[in-house]
Amino acid sequence: MATHHYYSFYLRRFHSLTGVIPIGAFLVEHFFTNSFAMFGPEVYNSKVAFFMGLPYILLIEISLIWLPILYHGAYGCYIVCTGQVNTFRYGYFRNWMYLMQRLTGVIAFAFIIYHVYATRISGLLTGQHASFESVGRSLDNPLILAFYVLGILSSSYHLGNGLFGFLITWGIAIGDKAQRGVSILCVLVSAGMAAFGLAALSYFV
Amino acid sequence: MSDKPIRLKIKRQNTPDSSPYWEEFSVPYTPGHNVISVLMEIQKNPVNSRGEKTSPVVWECNCLEEVCGACTMLINGGVRQACSALIDKIGRELTLEPITKFPVVRDLHVDRGKMFEALKKVGAWIPIDGTYDMGEGPRMAPKDQEEGYRLAKCMTCGCCMEACPQYNSRSSFIGPAPTVQVRLFNLHPTGAMNRSERLETLMEKGGIAECGNAQNCVRVCPKEVPLTKTLAELNKDVDLYAIFGMLKK
Amino acid sequence: MNNRIIIVGGGLAGLMSAIKAAEAGCGVDLFSLVPVRRSHSVCAQGGINGCVQPTREGDSPDEHFDDTVYGGDFLANQTPVRDMCHAAPAIIKLMDRMGVMFNRTPEGNLDFRAFGGAKYRRTAFSGATTGQQLLYALDEQVRRLEVEGKITKYEFWEFLGAVLDDDGTCRGISALDMRTMEVRTFPADAVIMAVGGPGVIFGKSTNSAINTGTAAASLYTQGVRYANGEFIQVHPTAIQGIDKLRLMSESARGEGGRIWTYRDGKPWYFLEEKYPAYGNLVPRDIATREIFHVCVDMKLGIEGKNQVYLDLTHIPAETLNRKLGGILEIYEKFAGEDPRKKPMKVFPGVHYSMGGIWVDYDQMTNVPGLFAAGECDYQYHGANRLGANALLSCIYSGMVAGPAAARFANGLHKAAEDSRDGCFDREKRRQQEIFSNIYRMNGSENPYRMANELGELMTENVTVVRYNDRLKATDEKLKELQERWRSLNVLDTSRGTANQAVQFVRQLKYMLEMARVITVGALLRNESRGAHYKPEFPERDDARFLKTTIADYAPSGPRISYQEVDLGYIKPRPRVYDVEKKVGTRKEGDQHER
Repeated sequence: MATHHYYSFYLRRFHSLTGVIPIGAFLVEHFFTNSFAMFGPEVYNSKVAFFMGLPYILLIEISLIWLPILYHGAYGCYIVCTGQVNTFRYGYFRNWMYLMQRLTGVIAFAFIIYHVYATRISGLLTGQHASFESVGRSLDNPLILAFYVLGILSSSYHLGNGLFGFLITWGIAIGDKAQRGVSILCVLVSAGMAAFGLAALSYFV
Repeated sequence: MSDKPIRLKIKRQNTPDSSPYWEEFSVPYTPGHNVISVLMEIQKNPVNSRGEKTSPVVWECNCLEEVCGACTMLINGGVRQACSALIDKIGRELTLEPITKFPVVRDLHVDRGKMFEALKKVGAWIPIDGTYDMGEGPRMAPKDQEEGYRLAKCMTCGCCMEACPQYNSRSSFIGPAPTVQVRLFNLHPTGAMNRSERLETLMEKGGIAECGNAQNCVRVCPKEVPLTKTLAELNKDVDLYAIFGMLKK
Repeated sequence: MNNRIIIVGGGLAGLMSAIKAAEAGCGVDLFSLVPVRRSHSVCAQGGINGCVQPTREGDSPDEHFDDTVYGGDFLANQTPVRDMCHAAPAIIKLMDRMGVMFNRTPEGNLDFRAFGGAKYRRTAFSGATTGQQLLYALDEQVRRLEVEGKITKYEFWEFLGAVLDDDGTCRGISALDMRTMEVRTFPADAVIMAVGGPGVIFGKSTNSAINTGTAAASLYTQGVRYANGEFIQVHPTAIQGIDKLRLMSESARGEGGRIWTYRDGKPWYFLEEKYPAYGNLVPRDIATREIFHVCVDMKLGIEGKNQVYLDLTHIPAETLNRKLGGILEIYEKFAGEDPRKKPMKVFPGVHYSMGGIWVDYDQMTNVPGLFAAGECDYQYHGANRLGANALLSCIYSGMVAGPAAARFANGLHKAAEDSRDGCFDREKRRQQEIFSNIYRMNGSENPYRMANELGELMTENVTVVRYNDRLKATDEKLKELQERWRSLNVLDTSRGTANQAVQFVRQLKYMLEMARVITVGALLRNESRGAHYKPEFPERDDARFLKTTIADYAPSGPRISYQEVDLGYIKPRPRVYDVEKKVGTRKEGDQHER
């Protein structure tokens, strides 16, 4: 009997899990925190300072945010490579969602790498942490603003539709009716997150 | 309109290694044709639309009533059974191609041996002690029988495999059809005795985790096998087993 | 040394005999034209008969036996039929153990339905695709044995001929790799043929495309005897199509479907009127002739065509979906109308061959070491087959053939390898020559059109109603076709790649041989019995024709002789279905063992 390996299964399930916890949860938190910008630069900057002042902040960031995102993104790119898109032959709704999930995943991953570099890593290197003002300045560049809008839309879609995949991958939504219901719910989540994220962005512009 | 001929464009290939080419045919229309009967007309008059003699088209078919699964091909770009593709419904302009996920034997005839190999891999059978008279089989709730029957109607035609974006040469996924058969044997009282072995095969490389949830499978299945529902159900079984079953080891 | 058994055919009979032979310790090589899961057994819809619950309604295996013999108009040898009916309950239970999704009662037991020619509910069924479900269960068991290394499959291989040694014993087979067109011989200690029926000879039939009868006909030309060839069952209710006729299962009538047509503007339920005891569930031959009569003779077909209604519209759609879902899907898919709302249009179509390769009670042919099982044998249905008995006979005959072949192999003195005697080379050369001649055929006739001609000729003259003058003319025409076969064009001269045209040209040659067996058998049987009906001889003639027809090959045409029928248990009595069947008078010594 050949030896059996289950690592690819666990890697894939871990990929699904990280998408929701912690990454999905973090995205909600991130949009929420950034919404403090609606109260003006002082409030926002004080919240940033609060988070930056948390004990073990770098460890928390690395283990709960950066590594999961890196894993989810890198493994996601591998998944994209194992697929063979056939949306034009089989133009069913879910097949489009499948394609979009991959597309938005790659866009979001690229955006997040840029975003983390620009707002966090560059700060670590230069000692100049991101602030309301620095973010606002960079958003003056319409290309960067467009990239932010695209990044937020992609992440929101990817989370909402990813939630649908998550509920199926974990055997929570099983029946046809349940899947249809959950599918609608997930579209709402996508839309809600997009609105949430764009609103937060708007306070910086 | 009524005497407009049926026009076919067929992707042909002489040997497994040679390159494909297109050949066009024209067949007089009569009501009631399907793709098989049109191909049969070409056999009776193997002349292409340029008037050249050619060899009859090679394809696979058997029952012609959509229970054997043999005549799967791409018809106007989509995968389906040729026998149930009625000309009066799909129109008189036809493009026929071999399905793309399996090696071509000749013309529209492909080798779907991989599907049967996958059934071996997942242990798609009830392990009985022997065929001697050993009394009755286990009782089964009609509800379970109905679910099992829906899965047991899978005729290994390969439509779901063809439409699945995750089943291709770059991925090791065994595809929707063989995966879903695990559920059939796991819900049978005797088959359930080997439930964990089958779930373990779905945890291996090529197993259920490689499903990408595009759900084309259920849309193209000619037998209405509840593929996506069963995949979700199996996800639950496999996940619980992957967590709690493995912790027993 | 491990004995090797070759099995040709991967339907129910082939797979069952493969499992049995493997269980008996033999290595099995299984040959099939198609992946075995696609064999013609998938088409059987209605169910499988067996008296599993003897107390229910007063049924018993003997009652099943009586129904089968009576339904077959007493032409079947009774001993094997009796053994089959007594084995039937265990077979159904076995298939249930293999995981066949048989329909269930609310308590979780097997559910049974009524079927043509039976007054009791003894037909186990799995939706409306019972044959498919049984085949899959056996296919799965074979796959398990394949993994265990006990069975080797050769799919996409066509059987060509038997390898016979100088003593006339079967030592193996020659076969064609359909993908490369390579001819090879394979040695074996015994060979089981489970190659199905010859429906394609009739052009359009309910049979699958592979059911050309070629394998059986090719053996016939090698000296294997063929029995009762003229008994061809025409199924009363088939959906008409250009490529084939699609069966509308008897279960549609079993579940309450009614046959009718218009007479004087009003629905006329002619079967119920003529046969009040059985109504729409009269046996197939009777239903066929009545529908044929109403359409062809009385010209009362729906829309003036050869078709009558099979009506299910009075049954709730939910019930229909649950019990007949599969067959209704077929109608909807191929006729484009919803049978829950509109009555179905049907007409009789060639369905099954009761006749086949002659075998003894161990399923062995007249060639030692060569066995036959399933539709291709002649053993179990006499002059007419009861609905839902085919699946049973296929599985049962496989269960007999497998162990019998293993016993034969054990008793064989010289294993195949030691007895080459050049017989393998001889057979290979013979087949290669046949093919090289076919590759050279560059005449003017198209083989597929000739097959059409053959089909129309046979359907018109050798099916429901048979007249001697037409049969004679048909045989003349068949001889002419045999002559014209030589001037065929092979259409495709490519070598080393799948060449279906070459295969078909060869098959057509053997189809013509078999057509003559059927036609000449029908011509010489001057009586009416079961599926064989001659208006000139409307009565059954037990004195002259209660006999098995035996066809021996001769280059000039079949030589017909007759053999006594085993009547060991039930005395022949007239077969009537307008009143309830009287219980057969059983002879003494009923406990006869075998």
